[in-house]
Amino acid sequence: MKKHYIILVGLVLLGIVYPQMFPGYLSVAITLLLYAGWATAWDILGGWAGQVSLGHASFVGLGAYFVAVGTAHHDIAPWWSILMALVAAAMLAYLWGSLTFKLKGPYFTLSTIAIAEILRLIAINEGWLTGGATGVFIMTLPEPFGLDLFSRQVNYYLALAFAAFTVLIVMLISRSKFGYQLRAVREDEDSAMASGINPTTVKLKAFMISGALTALGGGIYAIFLSFIEPHTIFYLLLSVQIALTAIIGGRGTIWGPCVGALLIVGSGEIFRTMFAEANMLIYGLLIMVVVMFLPRGIVGEPARYLLRRAYAKRAQG
Amino acid sequence: MFDYVSFMQNLSNGVLIGGVYALIGVGLTLVFGVMKTINFAHGDFVILGMYCAVLLNTLFGWDPYLSLLVAMPLGFLTGAILQRVVLSRLVEAPPESSLLVTLGLSLVIGNILLLTFGAEPKSVNVSYASSTVSLGEVRFSLILLLAGLATMVVIAGLYAVLNHTELGRAIRATADNRLGAELVGTNTRRIEAVVFGIGMALAVTAGVVLIPLLFATPTFSGAIFTLKAFVVTVLGGLGNIGAAIAGGLLLGVVEVMGASYLTSDYRNAYGLLVFLLVLLLRPEGLFGKTVKRV
Repeated sequence: MKKHYIILVGLVLLGIVYPQMFPGYLSVAITLLLYAGWATAWDILGGWAGQVSLGHASFVGLGAYFVAVGTAHHDIAPWWSILMALVAAAMLAYLWGSLTFKLKGPYFTLSTIAIAEILRLIAINEGWLTGGATGVFIMTLPEPFGLDLFSRQVNYYLALAFAAFTVLIVMLISRSKFGYQLRAVREDEDSAMASGINPTTVKLKAFMISGALTALGGGIYAIFLSFIEPHTIFYLLLSVQIALTAIIGGRGTIWGPCVGALLIVGSGEIFRTMFAEANMLIYGLLIMVVVMFLPRGIVGEPARYLLRRAYAKRAQG
Repeated sequence: MFDYVSFMQNLSNGVLIGGVYALIGVGLTLVFGVMKTINFAHGDFVILGMYCAVLLNTLFGWDPYLSLLVAMPLGFLTGAILQRVVLSRLVEAPPESSLLVTLGLSLVIGNILLLTFGAEPKSVNVSYASSTVSLGEVRFSLILLLAGLATMVVIAGLYAVLNHTELGRAIRATADNRLGAELVGTNTRRIEAVVFGIGMALAVTAGVVLIPLLFATPTFSGAIFTLKAFVVTVLGGLGNIGAAIAGGLLLGVVEVMGASYLTSDYRNAYGLLVFLLVLLLRPEGLFGKTVKRV
């Protein structure tokens, strides 16, 4: 476990000096960090608790809209609106989960798509609340400590902090009692219940943490884009991207979602000129290959191999 | 003031468009019934059918209904091959795997279409596009009527195959009890390939039938059709063909009625709302077995 913390600290240090080394590639790095954070947050519910959600774009949208509408229409500073978004996201996750957690496996997944689509239609049609289909522009932002929140550099450090914070949370969860409860529920709900775990409560907690963290990233995303519209930010494909990033990297592993983000955002950059707007092709091909040949993901398979070898060694004495 | 004529008009439109939804849903539910696979690429198969009609129309000037002759067998073959090459590897894997693979397949199909045909919507112009048939004061659009008719013919054909042929018996047996079917000598691997082929052929047919009505766009519309197919099948109950037809009709009517009597902004939401309600309130009746409550 200690080595995970050392890796995290090392990566964060690397992240801090990155803008000095590659000042021209900040936008890619921001995208990468946001996806790493979102996928890690998704994984708390999707990987550790085993409930595959294809509706996480709703939480991105929620966070983004709180920040954008807050600054553009109500003059609320982004840090306050992000705090409100976190509370709102946890509440949304609570309601959403209480409604749908009695559904199992694929049915839960289908219900998340349906709810996310309904939320998207609300964001498009309720202009008084969200600015409607045309979207919201962020024109001015306050300058805390003289920092310009519009600058790429500041956006980058915000995204870095978000990704690192999310990974840290997952590390803490993975070794906590709660983390073991999550895994127990994922493996077998009946056995989990038999050992005194309430699966619904555990899943609800996971969904609330996951949703709130995703909304946090959404708020930073809104500051980064400084323009949001409901068609893209509540879009089913964004949910799919977040989920697939985590699954390709490896569900229920600490570093899997980050590796998935690196792989996907990286290859997206490389192939961007080749495929132009058809960038989701990479997701499609990767997920097919991973599910067929590496069902535990790119990090999950070797991690399992190492674990099994360690057990075998111990068993041999 | 309640307007009887416009109510009947909406009802008939709803039933006709619902017939096409039923056709899409039946393919999905048949595949689920036999393979226990939720096919996320089903809507993209519909779009493939649309583009097939567009292609044959621009190349040879074929009428969309003529292109069914090519599209259906092609859809069947492609489906059977896809099942053999991709999905048959996942029989032992957890149910999510096939969902994820078909989700990947959906992205691949959509984006390949985007690369080949470009992003602008495509359609086929037919001479009878605005013709109507009147029955009393209610007018039926000829295209919708033809779509409804084609749907009925195809579903009747499917029903006949399932209930009156040896192949149909084998399919029903595999859906019922896979092991039992194998014990009495059914080649379930072959049945699965055939069923996936039939499912794809049905989706492609729906796409061809829809093309005079709707525009084909490569990426987003596939997801919409997949969602509609889910709504249809869950409304009726996954794995149950008769119920999928009822679900399709219900979805069509709910959408058209909701759009004309409430607000058309939420046209796509009405179906989803009903879908959620059914999923949450009557899950045990819809999935064939009791869902445990925690």
